[in-house]
Amino acid sequence: MSAASVRAPRLRAVGLHSGWGRGLGAVPESARVAASGRAVIRSQPLALSGDRFRRATRECLLAVAAVEDALEEARLPRAVLSGAGTALLYATASAYGSSNRAFIEGTGVSTLHFPYTAPSAVPAEVAIEFGITGAYLIFLGGAPATLSALWYAATLLASSECARALVLAVETFEECADLYAQGRWLVPRPLVETAACALLEPGEGELSYAEHRPTHAARRDLPLRERFGEAFSCLPLVELGLASAEGRDLSLTGTWRGSQASLRWLETPSQSGQV
Amino acid sequence: MASRERIAIVAAGVVTPIGQDLDAYWSALVTGVSGISRIERFPVGDLRVARGGEIKKIVRSPSFKRGPRSEEIDCRASRLLISAADELVARAGGLPLHPDPRRVAVVIGTALGGVEEGERALAGDRRPSRLAGALYDSPTRNVARWLGAEGATLTVSTACASGATALGVAARLLRSGIADLAVAGGCDILCRFVMKGFDVLRSLTRDEVRPFDRRRSGLLLGEGAALVLMTRERDAPAGPEPLGYLLGHASTSDGSHISAPDPTGRGLEGAIRGAMREAGVGAREIDFVSAHGTGTPLNDQVEAQVLNRVLGRRAREVPVNSIKAHLGHTMGAAATLEAIMSLLAWRHGQIPHTLNVEEPDTECGLDVVIAAPRSCRPRITLSSSAGFGGCNAALVLEGA
Repeated sequence: MSAASVRAPRLRAVGLHSGWGRGLGAVPESARVAASGRAVIRSQPLALSGDRFRRATRECLLAVAAVEDALEEARLPRAVLSGAGTALLYATASAYGSSNRAFIEGTGVSTLHFPYTAPSAVPAEVAIEFGITGAYLIFLGGAPATLSALWYAATLLASSECARALVLAVETFEECADLYAQGRWLVPRPLVETAACALLEPGEGELSYAEHRPTHAARRDLPLRERFGEAFSCLPLVELGLASAEGRDLSLTGTWRGSQASLRWLETPSQSGQV
Repeated sequence: MASRERIAIVAAGVVTPIGQDLDAYWSALVTGVSGISRIERFPVGDLRVARGGEIKKIVRSPSFKRGPRSEEIDCRASRLLISAADELVARAGGLPLHPDPRRVAVVIGTALGGVEEGERALAGDRRPSRLAGALYDSPTRNVARWLGAEGATLTVSTACASGATALGVAARLLRSGIADLAVAGGCDILCRFVMKGFDVLRSLTRDEVRPFDRRRSGLLLGEGAALVLMTRERDAPAGPEPLGYLLGHASTSDGSHISAPDPTGRGLEGAIRGAMREAGVGAREIDFVSAHGTGTPLNDQVEAQVLNRVLGRRAREVPVNSIKAHLGHTMGAAATLEAIMSLLAWRHGQIPHTLNVEEPDTECGLDVVIAAPRSCRPRITLSSSAGFGGCNAALVLEGA
């Protein structure tokens, strides 16, 4: 399968809020051991103040926190994100599930909850909170959706359509835990509620991206799942953060419902033919 | 790497409340057919507004299976997409679309995905296939399998701008060399979930949809699917002229409000200017604007202000229409249906009129096409879209 390359962005920081705790340091060595039989690892409630957040869902609050963490990691002020120079790309496989369910079943939500059922609600809260008005893309699916978002962000940065890009992924599970339990042979446990955000800036390396439906033999996936647990779209960003912190290759592969996407990411300019 | 290479739109397929192929769709647009009716497929008796652009029966009947050994797909969104794909494939000369299926990408925009499958699951049908069908990317996966496409399979969801964003993402896949062909478009269905949601927000009108009319009072929803087959211009097949070209796209955020448009329109303006920049097109070259034109008081006001800023003195000269009074607001399908309408307008030399406009809102300051189709050949079209969560998208298209 041929891959197309683009100038790679520089990974400035990764913000992470997960059921394991805040930051990459909280990621366990073995999800199964750390879970101790729990099917869902709930992310702790966040205390974001302000009347504006009175209707915001848990997934929205997690997203805002992950962006805050990325800024803190990068030692950048909030104001840097404001305006049209920041692109916001969001990926999720199912974070809309809990709000959809609450609306369908009418449990504990007001009629004004409906806009929060849209997948766009999560990045919307981030955009509002940080004043982001730049390029805006929302990809739905598991890990390949996030790899698509990373590739798209790279193209935006390479063509100077933005000065920086946030690639954000969020998954929540607790409100639909019974539904996931019914398909548990399809979804490995534990399910780890996660919000992760990569802050990207223009870089000098090369990034290549490909997506296709692999044969069974060619199927590869992120080995991180054993360590972190299942977090669908968030896993590539967690892996990016860990790989960057450990000085490892940033290349990623992710599968989801028969599709496989691969991102080969060389942060420094490659020799001809390397990518 | 993205460049400004033109992307050819070589075929299309549609399923709408006013017609279930391109010819029927176009004919209904220019003859002023309304697809609005009382909704019959699910209970609406408890809703304030019970009308919408409902497709009463899916006319095209391809096999609704992913493959010969698969079970029949009963997800309505998937069926609409497959029906649109059936027309697209017929117009493109049949399957396979490309000798290497891994070079065919599928990019679908949707606001609701398989949410009706979620409603069914929560009502008690807990089969794993039903649960999986509730994921918003399920209809995309179903139509990709039906097409035999094995390349990038992407679902984008910028709310009611999704159908434009999908075309823009597909163009970038093609320009970047990740795919050689892309089937892109949008789809959404009317279901109880969305009807109830818009009903409680009081966004739906009890009157007619009247885009840019002084008496406009809200929108009505509709359902549909629209797909286009895209390729790089240099790879377009010899033979019949393509429908047209996608020259530019941009999607932006308002960063303003969770459901209402930003009253300043800065996000929408950014999308429009971004699409024009990518297209290399200035305000003087825009021949026609296919507006989002939902018929809500605020959307039309903000959109008109933005168009006035972008087009300047030409705002009162460039014809503008909205086809949401014909169809209802078809959400994820809307922008793709509007893009196809724009290319057909060039081909047929007519711009469909905006239905139900009796007292044009002079404060909008636009040349809205009303009363009857207008004879002209709009070579360059600007199409604008917006949606919940401050999503905006714009396309610049060129007739072939």
